[in-house]
Order: sequence, then structure tokens, then C-alpha cells
Amino acid sequence: MSPRRAPGGGDIVAADGRARILEAGYRPYAGPRLGPRHAVATLARHSFERIMGLKRPARYKVLPFLSVAIAYLPAITFVGIVAIISRARAQAIEFIPQPGRYYGFITAAIILFTVVAAPEALCPDRRTRFLGVYLASPLTKSTYLLAKAIAIVTALLLVTIGPSLLLLIGLALQNFGPRGEVAFFETFGQILLTGVALSLMFGALSLAIPSLTDRRAFASAGSLLLILGSGAVSGILTRGLHASQRFELLALNRLPFDLALRIFTLHGIQFEDRPPLPTASVVAASVGVTVIAAAVAWWRVVGVEVQR
Amino acid sequence: MPPVVRAVDVTKHWGSTLALSGATFSIHAGVTGLLGANGAGKTTLLGLILGLHRPDGGALDVLGHNPWEQGPEVRARLGYAPEHDAFPPDVAAHDVVRHLAELHGLPRREATGRASDALWEVGLGEERFRPVGTMSTGQRQRVKLAQAIVHDPDLVLLDEPTNGLDPGQRSDMLALIHHVGADLGMHVVLSSHLLEEVEQVSDAVVILDAGRVVADRGMAELHNVGNEIVLDVDGESAAADVVARLDARGVAAESPAPGRVVVRVDRPEVHDAIRDVLADGQFSLRRLQRRTASLEDVYLASSEAGGQA
Repeated sequence: MSPRRAPGGGDIVAADGRARILEAGYRPYAGPRLGPRHAVATLARHSFERIMGLKRPARYKVLPFLSVAIAYLPAITFVGIVAIISRARAQAIEFIPQPGRYYGFITAAIILFTVVAAPEALCPDRRTRFLGVYLASPLTKSTYLLAKAIAIVTALLLVTIGPSLLLLIGLALQNFGPRGEVAFFETFGQILLTGVALSLMFGALSLAIPSLTDRRAFASAGSLLLILGSGAVSGILTRGLHASQRFELLALNRLPFDLALRIFTLHGIQFEDRPPLPTASVVAASVGVTVIAAAVAWWRVVGVEVQR
Repeated sequence: MPPVVRAVDVTKHWGSTLALSGATFSIHAGVTGLLGANGAGKTTLLGLILGLHRPDGGALDVLGHNPWEQGPEVRARLGYAPEHDAFPPDVAAHDVVRHLAELHGLPRREATGRASDALWEVGLGEERFRPVGTMSTGQRQRVKLAQAIVHDPDLVLLDEPTNGLDPGQRSDMLALIHHVGADLGMHVVLSSHLLEEVEQVSDAVVILDAGRVVADRGMAELHNVGNEIVLDVDGESAAADVVARLDARGVAAESPAPGRVVVRVDRPEVHDAIRDVLADGQFSLRRLQRRTASLEDVYLASSEAGGQA
């Protein structure tokens, strides 16, 4: 039997310092007991680790880290190109995107993350019935959902804020970014706002669809179907059938990029000779998607009966 | 010492199904068996104690709190081991137990140390870094017990903790449960549908039948229910004669078979009456044996009576 530390502290040492008890055994706990906030933070950290495949075999790390790689690789490449071809900056201007247009490159990463990694946050708890154990702790259904939302949104922030920030700072260091401090910090704020908005939207979707099933595969398929299917339906309606352009707001694969463009005060997505949709419509649609998805997750998780 | 759990006329419906009907009982210190057939309302009662469900009627008090209104505070002081396997199979037992300790409020450093201690305590010290999914049923049941006690709760709720165990494993698990209640200073509620295991480790029992509490007694008190003495006497009419003489002294007795007398011991003086009857009548006594009702007798009698025993 290997030596054990005494619970709640170090080994038990006699007053004269010469004797030391290594095998103290199970003893009553008299240390601090932290409250429900600690429980939320604990579950959020644990869920984040599960989502990212941390402390798990390598096969669980592949897809989350692939999502992150897809998001960061273009930014690293662009910064590298600017560094290498500094003499030809004039030509590079046409090629290197500013942070506002970078979201077109990371939409795939966000969708991949939502489809394959995020279901890990909710589905296994229901499938293994661990949810019942969680709810026998100081967590409530509401704080359980809050912890899961924090974990998913935090993971999404890695791909929605990190790459754009990297691009902004990388380009700024090469004297290729926004001109002046004001412009720099304005872009910085826009990146934060866009990252938070997209993380909330896709975080809500990442909770809503997996809350409908306890199987990860079904949740992934459902997420993919919803995001890509909505884009296809929207495309058929607006371009195939020439219906109102407002149906473009249904496209969950294009809406986040369009929202990012608006936050950076750029022209929105434009098809053929039609004018872009009003910014208010894009913002309202984004808020609507987020609220509806959050409501579905709330209804499914908070309304679930754990045991009878 | 106030009861650990006190229920007064607690009622709970699931739709049109009555899960608990006017349940009134108290759970005191030590190990208490929550006994009942499948569907008797045991799991519903555990859910109410945990504050996961709101009672439709009545009052429930757990460790001095209303569990529905003060759920997080109450659950911080409870440990719970579910009936079914509920842990992610790819996570090491130590990580599961540490995670649950942190959820119950222990700082990470303390949780790490106590997770090891709890797993050693249930006999899984050498196996604590193995993924739960690679463990045997008996080991997984021990992990469930370890995570229920890791944060040193005041009350531990164990839902069918011997499910799926072979007789040897069951005996070991019951010994562990007794150890938790007797040596670690935690109060334990052992939910089970198996009479013998409740009888083996419990200090008291609450018996549920179709949502009703049909018995709520200490085990010693329950054993006095149906406490009897069996006499075998020689002679064709001797048994009837003994019954008549006891009856004359106000002692309830019957002769269920030729030569056999069963005397109900409902007060200490009955022993003196038996001695005097046998001596005065000079009966030839072949056997005198005390017969104590088993928990099964009490359970069956309570269920048939349909009320509180």
C-alpha cells in the first residue's frame, strides 16, 4: 500500500516532529465548503475539458483541435505572408483580409465545432444518467445548464475571438493593421463584440439540439442538418424561387458571417444585384436565433424529470 | 437528537399515479432501511429528500431544512449513490470521485486527497486510476459509494447499492455500508427491495407499500412484533390444556398443531405464566423455543394489514 496524505492537509506530524503518520485513513472533513458558485465553476471547467478532449485519449482530441486549427491556420498564414513579403506589401493588400472579413474563413471551424464537439457537453450526461448525480449535488437544473453554457461559450470563444485577435495583432506588428490607436482599439472592440455574439448564437444552438437527444451522433447529424439545411432552403427560396430576400435570414451558415460584417460596419452579404439586407434585420435574426435556441435548451434541460 | 429526516403526511403524484400517499415517518441516526417492492415509492421518496421534487402535500424536513426550498444547501450535506451505473466509462474512478467532491464544495486540493482516501476506504485504492468502464460491477458499486461519502456528508442515500452483485460481493458491500454508518459517523438510508440485506445492516426500517408507509420502527422494536414462544408438550390433550390454562391467566396462546402451543409474548409476565402453567400441570415439555418474527414476517403482516404496523 502506498503512503497516503492526510485528507485536507499534509501528513500528520507529531509534536516533536520525529513521528509521521502516512496512513491516516478516511477522516471527517473540517475544511472549507464552497457554495453553489464553486459547483458551477467546477462543472464548467470539467465540461470544457470534456468538450476539448483534455485528459482523455487522443481520439477525443482530434475533432476539437481540428476545429481550432482550421480557425487559426489562415490567420497564422496571413501574418506569415505579410512578414515574408514585406517588400511587396502593396500587392499583399489585395490578398490579406482585415479582421472584419476574416470570419468568412472561420465559419467552417465554428460549424465543425458546433456539430462535432459541442454535443459532448450535454449528451453523455443524459445517456449515462450522470445528470441525476449532478442534480443530487448543490447544482440545480438551472445552474447545471448555466455551467454547460459557460463551458461551450468559452470553447467557442477560442475560435471566434482568438484567430481574429491574432490576425489583428500580427498585422499591427507588421504595420499592416488599422492605422492609429483609435482604429486599433475600435477593431479590437469589434472583434470582442463579434466573438461574443457568435459564441452566444452557436453556444445556444450547441445546447438546443443536443438537449433533444442523448445520442451524440444524432445531435451532430441534427446540428449539421439544421445549419447546412437552413442555408440550402434559404438559397432555394431566395435565388431559385425568387422569394423575399428576408428568407436569407434563415441561413444559419451565412447569418453569422453577415452579422460580423455589420459589426465591422462593412457591407453585408450581397447576392446578384440585390442590395444587402438591413442591418437591423440581421441583428434581429441573430438575436432571435440565439433566444429561441436558448429557450429550447432551457425547456429541455430544466423541464426534464430526473427520476421518479 | 432531532430526526435526520421527518415526513408528515407527504403526498406525491406523477400524473394520475399516486407515488406517495400520506407518508409519515422519521429517520433517526444510524442506518435506516427503506424497504419496499419495485414501484413502492422508494426512489420518489429519495428524490423528495434530495429536493428534486416538490411534494404535492405534507411537510418534509431533511437535516432541519425544507429540501425543496433549500435544495442546494441540503444537497451539499447529502451523499447520493444512484441505482444505475451513472458514470462516464472513459473517466478514471479517482477523477469521478474528485469531481463529485468539488461539486459538493470541497476545494480542488482537498477534493484530490479525499478522493484517494474515499477510494481506499471502499477497497479500491490500487484501482483508483482505472477508467470506470473497465471495472467490474462490484467495483463500480464501490465507486458509487466512494463518491457518496467523499465529501463527508451528514446523510448518505444509497439506492439499491447491491444491484447486480453476487452473494460474496453483496456481503462485502453490506459490510461497507455498516462501516459507513457505524464507524464513519454518517447517517445512511439504504433503499432496497431485499429484506435480508436491510435486516442485516439497518438499525431501523421504513417499509413502503404502494406509496404508503406501512411500518416505521427501530429494528429491535420490530423484532418484538410477533415475538412468540413455541412449546412442544407430550400428550394428546396436553396442548389444549396448556392453552386453556394460559387463557385463564390472560395470556394469548393457540395450538396450531397437535402437541404444539404458540404463546404470544406481549409483556414480561408471560414468561412467569408459562413457567407456572407447565409446573402446576406437570406437563412433559419436549421443546421450549423463542421465535422472533423476521423482517419478512413484519413486512408481510404490514402489507396485508394495509396500515402502519
